[in-house]
Amino acid sequence: MSTTDDDKPNGGNGTDEELHGLLAEFDTPGALIAAARKVKNAGYTEFDCYSPFPVHGIDAAMGIKATKLPWVVFLGGLSGLFLGTLMQWWMNAYDWPWNVAGKPTWSIPANVPISYETTILLSVLTTFFGMWAANKLPQVWHPFFRLDRFARVTDDGFFLGIEAGDKRFELEQTKQLLVAAGASHVEECSVDARPAARSVPRWIWAVMPIMTMLALIPIALVYKARATKSPDPHYHIFSDMDFQPKAKSDQPFAEFADGRANRAQAGGTVARGQLKADDGYYRGLGNGQWLSGLPAQVEVTPALLDRGQERYNIYCAPCHGFDGAGHGIVPERVAMLGGAWEARNLVERSSAVIKMPNGQIFNTISNGNNTMMGYASQIPVEDRWAIVLYVRALQRSQNAVESELPPGSEVR
Amino acid sequence: MATSSNEAADGHGEGGEARKVFRGITDDVAKIALSPTPKWWYPAFAVSNLMLLCLVVALYHLFTTGIGVWGNNNIQGWAWDITNFVFWIGIGHAGTLISAVLYLFRQEWRTSINRSAEAMTIFAVAAAGIFPIIHTGRPWFAWWLIPHPNDMGMWPQFRSPLMWDVFAISTYATTSILFWYMGMVPDIATLRDRAKEKWKQIGYGLLALGWRGSARQWHRYERAYLILAALSTPLVLSVHSVVSFDFATSQNPGWHTTIFPPYFVAGAIFSGFAMVATLLVPLRYLCNLKHIIKESHIEAMCKIMIATGLMVGGAYSIELFVAWYSGNAGEWFTFRNRILGEYSWAYFMMVSCNVLVPQFFWFKKCRTNPWIVVGLCILINVGMWFERFVIIATSLARQGVPGMWGYFSPTRWDLLTMIGSFGLFFTLFLLFVRFLPVIAIAEVKAVTPEAHAGKDHH
Amino acid sequence: MATKSIHPEEKFKADKMGSRLFKFGAAAGLGLLALSIVLGSMKGDHWRRFLHAYVIGWSFVVSIAVGSLFFIIVHHVARAKWGIVLRRLAEFMASTLPWLGVLGLGFLLPVLFGNKQLYFWTEPSLHEQSHPLWHHMHHKLGWLDPWFFGARYVFYFLIFSGMALYFAGKSRAMDSAPDDATAASIADRLRVAAGPSILVFALTTVFFATDLFMTFQPLWYSTIYSVVWFAGGMIATYSTLALLARVLQQFGKLSHSVTVEHYHDIGKYMFGWTFFWIYTAFSQFMLQWYGNMPEETVFYNYRMFSEWKWVSLAVLLGQWAFPYLCLVTRWTKRILPLLMFLAVWQLVFHWVEIYWNIMPNAQWGTDQAGNLMGPLYGDPANHKIGFHFMDLTLWLAMVGLFIAGIGKVMKGNLIPVKDPKLGECLAFENY
Repeated sequence: MSTTDDDKPNGGNGTDEELHGLLAEFDTPGALIAAARKVKNAGYTEFDCYSPFPVHGIDAAMGIKATKLPWVVFLGGLSGLFLGTLMQWWMNAYDWPWNVAGKPTWSIPANVPISYETTILLSVLTTFFGMWAANKLPQVWHPFFRLDRFARVTDDGFFLGIEAGDKRFELEQTKQLLVAAGASHVEECSVDARPAARSVPRWIWAVMPIMTMLALIPIALVYKARATKSPDPHYHIFSDMDFQPKAKSDQPFAEFADGRANRAQAGGTVARGQLKADDGYYRGLGNGQWLSGLPAQVEVTPALLDRGQERYNIYCAPCHGFDGAGHGIVPERVAMLGGAWEARNLVERSSAVIKMPNGQIFNTISNGNNTMMGYASQIPVEDRWAIVLYVRALQRSQNAVESELPPGSEVR
Repeated sequence: MATSSNEAADGHGEGGEARKVFRGITDDVAKIALSPTPKWWYPAFAVSNLMLLCLVVALYHLFTTGIGVWGNNNIQGWAWDITNFVFWIGIGHAGTLISAVLYLFRQEWRTSINRSAEAMTIFAVAAAGIFPIIHTGRPWFAWWLIPHPNDMGMWPQFRSPLMWDVFAISTYATTSILFWYMGMVPDIATLRDRAKEKWKQIGYGLLALGWRGSARQWHRYERAYLILAALSTPLVLSVHSVVSFDFATSQNPGWHTTIFPPYFVAGAIFSGFAMVATLLVPLRYLCNLKHIIKESHIEAMCKIMIATGLMVGGAYSIELFVAWYSGNAGEWFTFRNRILGEYSWAYFMMVSCNVLVPQFFWFKKCRTNPWIVVGLCILINVGMWFERFVIIATSLARQGVPGMWGYFSPTRWDLLTMIGSFGLFFTLFLLFVRFLPVIAIAEVKAVTPEAHAGKDHH
Repeated sequence: MATKSIHPEEKFKADKMGSRLFKFGAAAGLGLLALSIVLGSMKGDHWRRFLHAYVIGWSFVVSIAVGSLFFIIVHHVARAKWGIVLRRLAEFMASTLPWLGVLGLGFLLPVLFGNKQLYFWTEPSLHEQSHPLWHHMHHKLGWLDPWFFGARYVFYFLIFSGMALYFAGKSRAMDSAPDDATAASIADRLRVAAGPSILVFALTTVFFATDLFMTFQPLWYSTIYSVVWFAGGMIATYSTLALLARVLQQFGKLSHSVTVEHYHDIGKYMFGWTFFWIYTAFSQFMLQWYGNMPEETVFYNYRMFSEWKWVSLAVLLGQWAFPYLCLVTRWTKRILPLLMFLAVWQLVFHWVEIYWNIMPNAQWGTDQAGNLMGPLYGDPANHKIGFHFMDLTLWLAMVGLFIAGIGKVMKGNLIPVKDPKLGECLAFENY
C-alpha cells in the first residue's frame, strides 16, 4: 500500500492529529455505485459518497431512505394557505371591515390570489430552508476539505468516505475493502485533536455580544421616537407637497410688485359666482329672511320631485337614511365602530327641520351645518331645490294621518 | 496504491474518458468566472453603466419633482410606467419556465440555458419592480403596502388586484432568487475549489455553504429541486395572471376580458424566450460556449417562440371577435379605435412583430443563423413592448365620455427611465456573467452520456 | 437512452377487439338512444330537453375526440417518447371525429329545419325591432343564421376529420413500411405537418366551442370560454386513454408494452390538466364576478343563486378539489385501481361540468309583455335543474356510439410497431 500520507502535512502524522476516516477515489460513477453497494453490504453505516453531480442509482446502492422533505413542505404550504387566509379575514373582514364595490366584506373569490401566493411562498421557504437544515448546511468546514485531492469532487472526482467512528472500521481491513471495491486511490484523513482547535475562537465570543448590542441601538431609537413628542418640525427627506410654489391668500408673495398675494379683480372680468345675483334662487333668501316659499324659477312638477328623490337617495340617504329618519349606513357604520352619532332626523314631528323655512334647508344643503359638509360644489342649484321639495314630501308622508291616505292604499 | 495510476499529483490527467468530459465542462465554465476579465466585457459594462446612470438621474428628477415629469395625464393615468412594468415582468417569466416547466417535462436541453435564464428572470423582475413603486408618486410610502400594525389602525385592501400584485411579485422574486441560488450552490463550490485568489476563495466559499457533493445531500437536494420546480410552475402561471387581473378586473373596455390571464402568460413566455435568445446567442460566441449551448438549443427556443407567438395571435383574434360578437358598444368601439384610430400605428407594430415575425422561425435557415435569430428576437421584444402599450394606452385613450379622451406623448423622462431600466438589467447580467457560473455545471454533467459510465445495465 | 424491443409474447394486434367494442357500443348506444327518443317524445316540450341533453352527451364525446387529436399532434411536434405506445389508441379515438360529425346532425338538422327550442337565436321574433333584445342581438343575427351556422359546423368537422384521418392514416402507413428508413421518413413528415396543424387546430377549436356551446345564451360572452371547454376535454382525454389501455389489457392485449410508468405519466397529465382547468375556470368566474357587469354575471347568477348552486359546488369539488388532491403524490398515480377510479371519476364530473354549463340554458323566460326572452331570464329562485332520466340515457347513448366508433376503426396493430422511437418508449421510466 502506498498511501500518500507522507506528502500531506495534514495527513495524520502529528501527535495532535486523530484519524477522521478514509477517503477512496473512483474513476466512474458506475464504479462508485458498485463500491457503495459493497461497503453497505459489508455492514458499514457511517459512510458517504461524494460526486460532482447526483449519480442516479446511488441512493439504492447506499440504502438511502427517501427524504421526508415533501411532507414538511406540504405542512408548510398548508400553514401558508391558513395564515394567508386568516390574515385577509382578520384585517379586511374583522378588524377593519371594509366595503369594496358593495361586495360582502368577506368575499372569498377576491381573496383567492393572495392565499394562493402565501401558500406557495411558505412552501418555497420550507423547501429551501428545510433542505439546507436537513443537510446540516451551511457547514463551511469538513475534515475531507483538508485533502487536496478532495477538491476534485466538484470537478470530475468520485469519492467514497468511511468515517473512523463506524463500529466496523478497522484501518487496514477497511482499506483492503475499498481497494477491492475498485478504488483508484485510498487516503487517510485526520483532524486536529486538540480541544482548542475544535472550539469557537475566543475573539468571536467577545465580538458577538458587542455586535448584538450595537444592532439594538437603531431599534431602540425608533422605539423612543414612537413614545416621545418633539416640538421640532419633522425632517423633510421628501417634501411631500408640504412646500408648494404657489401663493396663499393673505400671505406675502414676492412675485408681485406690492408684495401681496391677494389681487384685486381685473377690470372687465367676472369671477365665479358673481352672476348669481338672485338671492332667492341661489341663496334661499328674500329681503334678508329665509324664503318660506319657493323662488320663481322652481316650478313644482312630478318630474322635479322624482329628480329630488333620486338626488336625495344618492347624496343625503347615506347619512339621513332613505326615510329621512337619520338611520343611514354612515351612522350604522359609526355604531359598528363603537361610536354614538346619528344624522339629524329630518321628518319626526319635533324635528327643527319641519319648522325650518325652505330657504334655510336650501342653505344647509349648500353650505352644511355642524358636522354636515356643504354640497354646493356637488349638487347643482336646481337639484338642491328638488331635494328640498323631496324632503318636504318625506316629512309629509312620514307624518301622514289616516284621513290623508289616498283611497285603496290601506294595508290589508 | 496497488490498483491506481496515481502518477499525476495534481489529479488531472488520470481517469477514463468520462472524467475528461467532466473536466472539460468544469474548465470551460469555471474559466469564465476565474480567468482575467475579457476585453469585450469592459465596453459592454461601461455602456450598461451609462444607461444605469440615466435611471439614477431620471429617478432623482422624478422623486424631487413629481409624476408630472412624465407624459401621464388625467386620462392616461397609466402609460409607459406600467407598460415597462408589464414588459419586464413578462421577460422575467422565461427563466422560471425553462428551469421549472422544462425540468418537469424532462427536457434535457434546458440544462445549458437554465442558469442564465434564471439570472435573467431575477434581473428582469428587479427592473420590473421599480415601476409600480415609482408610479405611485410617493414611493417612500411603498412600505404601506406591507401589512403592519400602525397608528391609523388601517390595513391594506387585500381585495384590490394591486395588492395581489404586491404578493405575487414578491413571492415570485423570492422564489426565483432561492431557486437560482440553490441551483448554483454546487457550481459555486466548483469555483471555490478552482479559485486561486484568497478573496475569491473566501467569497465563493461562503456562498457555497460548504457544499461537498455528498450523496445523502444530493438526495435531499434533488428532491427539493423537484419540489421547487413543481411549485414554481403554478407560481409562474399565477404571477402574470395576477398582472393581467390589474386590468381585467376593471370594467374598462379593452381591459375587461376573461382571456387575459392565459393570454398574458403566453405573451410573457414569448417575450421571455425572445430575451433569453437575444442574450445567449452572443454569449455563446463571446464565452466560447458553443459546444454547451448548442445550435439545437437555440432552435428549440425559436420553436417555442412560434408556439407562444401563435397563442398570442389567437388571443388577439378571439378578443376582437368577441368584442364584436358581445354587442357591447364600448368594447367594440375600443377595438375599432385600436385598429383604426390614432394608435393604429402601435397596433400594427404589435401585430406584425408578434404574429408575423415569429413565422420566419418555421424556416431552419432563420433558426440557425445567429444574426437572424437575434434580429427577429429583438423585433419580438419590441412587439411585446408595444402589446402592453397598446393594451394600456389605447384602452385609456377613449373612455366612456369624450371628456375622457386623450392622447399620450412620452417626455424625455419617460424615455430616460426606460433606458435606465435596460441599464440596470444589463449591468446586473454582465456582473453575473463575469463572476458566477453561467452554466449549470453539475446539471450539464448529469445529462451527458458519460454520467452513466461504468454502470452495469439493469 | 435505454431502449427495448417489443416483448416476444406481446399481443399487439387488434384482432377481434374492434368488432367486440363495436358490437357492445352499438348495441348499448342504439338501445339507449331509442329509449331516449321515446322519453323525449313523451316529455311534450317540443324536444327541448331531449336536444339539450343530446348536445351535452355529444359535447362530452367530441371533447374527448378533439383532445385525442391534440394529444397526437403535440406528441409529434414535441417529439415526445413516453406516450408512443398510447398514440395508436389516441388515433383510434380521434378517427371517430367524422362519425361524431355525423352524430351531431342529430341536433343540427332540427335547428336547420325549424326547431326553435335549442338555440334561442333561432327565435324569429328577435328579428323584429319591437323585441326588447333586438338592440343587443340584431348585429349578430347574421352570424347566428342557422344555415351559416350549419356551414361553419361542416367546416369545423372537415378540418377536424381531415387532420385526424391524416395523422392516423400516416401513422398506420408507418406500420407497413418496408424498412426503418421509410418509417423514419414518415415520422419526420408527421412531425413537420404537426407544426402548422397546431395552429389550425387551435383556431378551429376556439371557434368551434364558442360557436356551438357559448351561443346557447347569445347575450352572454367570455373570451376564455373555449379554453375552459378544451381544458375539461383534455382531462377527459387522458382519463379515457388510461381506461381504454386498461380495458385492452384486461383482454390480454398490450400487457407488456403499457407499463405502470406510462400510467404514471397519464396521471401526471390528468393532474396538470385538472390544474389548468381550474385555472381557466377560475379566471372566467373571478373576472366576471369582480367586474360585476350584468351582461356577464348572468351566467354565474343563475348557477350561484338557484338550485344549480349545488351542481356548481359539485363541479368545484368533483372536477377539481378531490382529484387534484388525490393526484398530487407520486404513489397515487402508480396504483392502477386507484388511477382507474380517478379516471372514471374525472369522466363523470366532466359530464357534470358540461351539464352544468349547458343545461341551465334549457329554461326560457318571457317578459311581462309576453316577449320570449330566452335562457337565464327571470328570478333565479325560480330556476330549476329539472333533472330528467333522459339526461343520463342520452349521455350514455353518446358514449356507446363513441365506443362503437372506436371499435369500427380499431384494426391492425394497437401500437405503432415501426415508430423509430418506440424502443425508447418501451424502456421509459420515471425518475
